[in-house]
Amino acid sequence: MSEEKKTREKILDVKNLDITFETTAGKVHAIRGVNIDLYQGETVAIVGESGSGKSVTMRAAMGILAKNAVVNSGEIIYRYRDNVGGIDYNPENDASAQWKEADILKMDKKWIRKHINGRRIAMVFQDPMTSLDPTMTIGKQIMEGMIWHYKIDKKDAYDRAVNLLKEVGIEDAEKRMKQYPHQLSGGMRQRVVIAIALSCNPDLLICDEPTTALDVNIQAKILELIKKVQKERDIAVIYITHDLGVVAKVADYVNVMYAGKIVEVGNINEIFYEPKHPYTWGLLSAMPDLGTDDDRLYTIPGSPPNLLHEKEGDAFAPRNAYALEIDDKLEPPMFQISETHWAATWLLDPRAPKVEMPKELKARIERMKKEAQANDSKL
Amino acid sequence: MTANYNAEPLLEVKGLKQYFPISKTYTVKAVDDVSFKVYPGETYGLVGESGSGKSTIGRSIIRLYDPTEGTINFCGMDISGKMSKDVKEKLRIQMQMIFQDPMASLNPRKKIKDIIGEALDVHKFYNSKEERDHRVEAILEKVGLAKEHADRYPHQFSGGQRQRVGIARALILNPKLVIADECISALDVSIQAQVVNLMKDIQAELGTAYLFIAHDLSMVKYISDRIGVLHLGHLLETGTTDEIFSNPIHPYTKSLLSAIPIPNPELEKNREAINYDYKTSGIDYTKGTEHLVDGSHYVKCTDEEFAAWTK
Ligand SMILES: Nc1ncnc2c1ncn2[C@@H]1O[C@H](COP(=O)(O)OP(=O)(O)OP(=O)(O)O)[C@@H](O)[C@H]1O
Ligand SMILES: Nc1ncnc2c1ncn2[C@@H]1O[C@H](COP(=O)(O)OP(=O)(O)OP(=O)(O)O)[C@@H](O)[C@H]1O
Ligand SMILES: [Mg+2]
Ligand SMILES: [Mg+2]
Repeated sequence: MSEEKKTREKILDVKNLDITFETTAGKVHAIRGVNIDLYQGETVAIVGESGSGKSVTMRAAMGILAKNAVVNSGEIIYRYRDNVGGIDYNPENDASAQWKEADILKMDKKWIRKHINGRRIAMVFQDPMTSLDPTMTIGKQIMEGMIWHYKIDKKDAYDRAVNLLKEVGIEDAEKRMKQYPHQLSGGMRQRVVIAIALSCNPDLLICDEPTTALDVNIQAKILELIKKVQKERDIAVIYITHDLGVVAKVADYVNVMYAGKIVEVGNINEIFYEPKHPYTWGLLSAMPDLGTDDDRLYTIPGSPPNLLHEKEGDAFAPRNAYALEIDDKLEPPMFQISETHWAATWLLDPRAPKVEMPKELKARIERMKKEAQANDSKL
Repeated sequence: MTANYNAEPLLEVKGLKQYFPISKTYTVKAVDDVSFKVYPGETYGLVGESGSGKSTIGRSIIRLYDPTEGTINFCGMDISGKMSKDVKEKLRIQMQMIFQDPMASLNPRKKIKDIIGEALDVHKFYNSKEERDHRVEAILEKVGLAKEHADRYPHQFSGGQRQRVGIARALILNPKLVIADECISALDVSIQAQVVNLMKDIQAELGTAYLFIAHDLSMVKYISDRIGVLHLGHLLETGTTDEIFSNPIHPYTKSLLSAIPIPNPELEKNREAINYDYKTSGIDYTKGTEHLVDGSHYVKCTDEEFAAWTK
């Protein structure tokens, strides 16, 4: 990549996505108007409570929603350049490569399988066992995509697979190639899935909780590896993770999701040091803090909304100590705070009373900033 | 703290080895001569890198495998060899495991209420169907799910919701020991806290002991009374949480602690962890023996290593 600032190329644009699931107990309104932008070479994190719709949003982007899903509205515009030169082709180095675009929600299954799944957009799924075939050796499973998408020969695919296993930190790679998923540890399986995702050189890598089963050392290694690939090929990466330590390490931008909506988006420093949405305050307050010895962890009071029964107004209001009267009637729009920072809370309305984030969180953020400064001056 | 260290240990593992022969020339020594105790009401955290043998220890203890060598004593019963019907039955009630891969451990064709209720059925833990439903709903709510979820199938849940189904299933029988294998790793911090607080409440109320397997050291620090550090199938260091965090002795433990991510972007971008490579470390785990540091803090190494690391 050259140093001079080039124009940012948008490669994914999720617009006003709205999805419900049909279940025996009724309609589950899981995604309620999600907007996400993603640019080439950049990393976006999606954080938010369990069940808030992170995985469903990304499955929609991959064109692989569950059968009982109904897309009520929205577009998922994916921009790409045709891969004309085989597995090692990099359109970055090809002046003739042209941008194209498609709305993934409108494309048929066959097109998606040929162009999207695994090849241009690769996803590391949350539960590794669900994406591995228990009856096939892991070697075969890594080689499969490369052979299918790029028609490379077996020997080449084998060498690449072994190499990938080494890169994700699996020792005795050649021996592991012959093993079945159940013979690997949980974290190894997770890394095999990462190897599979990287095997076809995607332009967009979606990692859904990619390192939950990994210890910190290997996690660091995987995050480095993804960064390296990202630099080399200028790919975009989406991390879904609840681990704010990971977010702090990798993300350029953060989307905070609550009950099927993005409630705050900003660059990494805006979200960690100047959060505006009360839900983001709760999320940051709930991080375990090695600096304190509290006996109980902070949890956001109340329970996640029941998506079967929608309520009027702001979905977060019942759990929000800072809720205003209007929150029970009207959903807040996105208020703009800076060029990159937006939050959906009525607290940002000029007519709202002035409310500050909780004292404890403020103190903690101040401490974090000081630590960062102290560290900077050491360097 | 609820741990009762004056009581007999609830679980005592001695010299446990679990080998997997893969081919004539290749055997995976997943667990190699591991010994530790868990006391009633205690939380023992088992940490170590991916592939170090944590899940295998859990699965050996709950007897999904036949141990290659060593003894396992639970509630005063030897459960390492062939067990009588009576012992097996006790084991199935008193010891539960929350599995690392929630999807793989939940029957995809069963509704959640039956997956969770099944444990109650097997042991006839209710008097009427209403009581059964009621208990299932109560535990669902405790782990942060809703009663409407009871009629869904496993694939209709988010990852973290599925993980909580596994937790509910293990806790509903009020077992004496719960082996929790990465049981909160897929949960966001707030729900992690909710589940961990729930586990602590149950512990305070019923004296449940946890073998808490995890790689997230900040959570392990928070929940555990004592910690064991595992690497390549060897238990390298064990002690109270405080002993391990404030005075790590083994270089592997030190590297592990140095790599804990800090949720502070400016700091995190410039940080580097202490590197540890067993192959070039000059350490031979098979030569190590247990050395007392102080209190209940032990490290497995040679006399020379011990002298060098503690001077
Ligand atoms: N096939 C389905 N049928 C019914 N409801 C579903 C289905 N799939 C997902 N849901 C519901 O949609 C909501 C969003 O699910 P999603 O998997 O996106 O959550 P998530 O944000 O990824 O959570 P987690 O962090 O726990 O993985 C959840 O409440 C979930 O129960
Ligand atoms: N059934 C099996 N057959 C063969 N090898 C196995 C089997 N189960 C585990 N192993 C091997 O034993 C070693 C330890 O695996 P284990 O699952 O105990 O690791 P772990 O510490 O739980 O790792 P993780 O944190 O990644 O889950 C690994 O090398 C694994 O490949
Ligand atoms: Mg998910
Ligand atoms: Mg494991």
